[in-house]
Amino acid sequence: MKGERVKKPIKIAIILMLVGGLLTTAAFLMAFNTAEVQTFGTVNLTKAQAAASNTVFEVAPANLQPIDGTINYLRPWFSQKIFYFHVPFAEASFLIFTVAAFFAVMFLSKRRKSFDTKSRIAMEVAFLFVVATMITGDLWTRASWGMWWDWEPRLTTYLIMMLLMLVYFVLRNSIEDEERRAMYASVFCIIAWIDAPISFFITRIIPSQHPVVFKSGMATSNLVPFIVAQVGMIMIGYAIYTLRVGEEQNRERLEIIKEAIEN
Amino acid sequence: MARELDYVMTKKPKSEPEQKSGSLNISGWRQFKAILRKDIVIELRTKEMITSMGLYALLVLVIYYIALSNAGSNFETQRIAAGLLFLAIVFTSMLGLNRSLVHEVDQGCLEALLLSPIDRPIIFFGKAVGNLIFLLIVEVFVTPLFYFIFLSSAKMQNSGPVWMVAIALVVGSIGIAGVGTLLATMSVNTKGKDFMLSVMFIPIMFPLLLAVVAAASQAIMGDPGYVKVFWQMIAAATAYDALMIGASFALYEFILEA
Repeated sequence: MKGERVKKPIKIAIILMLVGGLLTTAAFLMAFNTAEVQTFGTVNLTKAQAAASNTVFEVAPANLQPIDGTINYLRPWFSQKIFYFHVPFAEASFLIFTVAAFFAVMFLSKRRKSFDTKSRIAMEVAFLFVVATMITGDLWTRASWGMWWDWEPRLTTYLIMMLLMLVYFVLRNSIEDEERRAMYASVFCIIAWIDAPISFFITRIIPSQHPVVFKSGMATSNLVPFIVAQVGMIMIGYAIYTLRVGEEQNRERLEIIKEAIEN
Repeated sequence: MARELDYVMTKKPKSEPEQKSGSLNISGWRQFKAILRKDIVIELRTKEMITSMGLYALLVLVIYYIALSNAGSNFETQRIAAGLLFLAIVFTSMLGLNRSLVHEVDQGCLEALLLSPIDRPIIFFGKAVGNLIFLLIVEVFVTPLFYFIFLSSAKMQNSGPVWMVAIALVVGSIGIAGVGTLLATMSVNTKGKDFMLSVMFIPIMFPLLLAVVAAASQAIMGDPGYVKVFWQMIAAATAYDALMIGASFALYEFILEA
């Protein structure tokens, strides 16, 4: 009887995982076919156009010297497609981190063990997405800025967010008492979460090299694959989270059974 | 006696506020003063915190010379002076924070404080202000020393007034002492202790340090238009201080409870 109730969300999660995988793949293919594909070869831009086009879609190096009044540069054609992975990963990581902080607050007010477990698993999934963002971001930075890493505001605050998540797990491992571990981890999760909005809004406050996606505007043909990829990514995040929660509950059940047999 | 899968932990949230610290009718201000006085009296008797922190800061300054010794005569030390100064203060403060809480736990003082009818937030402010005072005392003699060792030969005609650097130091120290007290209380109860403190402390302090170092750097270098940038950075650092100390203040109760 009880088993049926547990299995249903897991079935949904598996379906969502498949649908999410399909959607992100579809978005990637759409980006090549229906979106405004950056054409092969070089383009000519005036200096002013080049400076104005520093968006995610046309990253013209503004420091190039104009030849005959125009700038010739090789348009990013393939590397730009990382956008349809990188940004959905990043947005999903902020969202899932917020979920983790929400469960931490819930734990502190209700003291139910399950909230702590949920907070920890949300943190794990968020960390996975942060690492994915970092890897895709690094590749993209190399392709469009010509370097692997740059200490600019968004990258710096995001790196700090990643370190804080890492420290969260180190902290959990260094406390033996279960209740104290849950308490400290929740407190640290809330304090660490303060960096998430800072990282999210910093490119809107401080002028930085990292483009602000939603301010620069997007053509509909680019927006559609982006939204498809974003929805798919959130589905994958939710699916991983649900499956992990199910796994954790089963593990705890096993512990209880073991304890009962020993007694 | 099977455990339930999702049980409420033994330490339940308080449903109603405890009886006001009550029958003795001691005001919060007097409780705060008592905790602060305890720390200062211990320090006056042992002089342990100030000497160890001061000596450590001095050694950090000495070791900076290794990095700067091969920089050549054209290198302008004032361009990185603010960063070096705050680095010394961060390392020193981690030492001090750890010591101040390790004593509390080792000698059973924290338990006694929890048994006594004192409001939890007042314990936080008492410890944080104590740590702030010790940190400021160390800064008062480390900063001039830093100037004499590294900057006395630098060209500093354009530099802003000294009180600007002082403001940056105070804003930085408030954040360090406030959040540091919370993190130190957490770390003394973990396996790693001082290791856990530094691992938690540095990423959390990072945005604050970035802002105060930028502010102090502007004041030391005095490039054109430095006053505006200085105040912007101080405003950002103050906002971060307020946010973080507010969060620490609200969450300290949970740390003491666990």
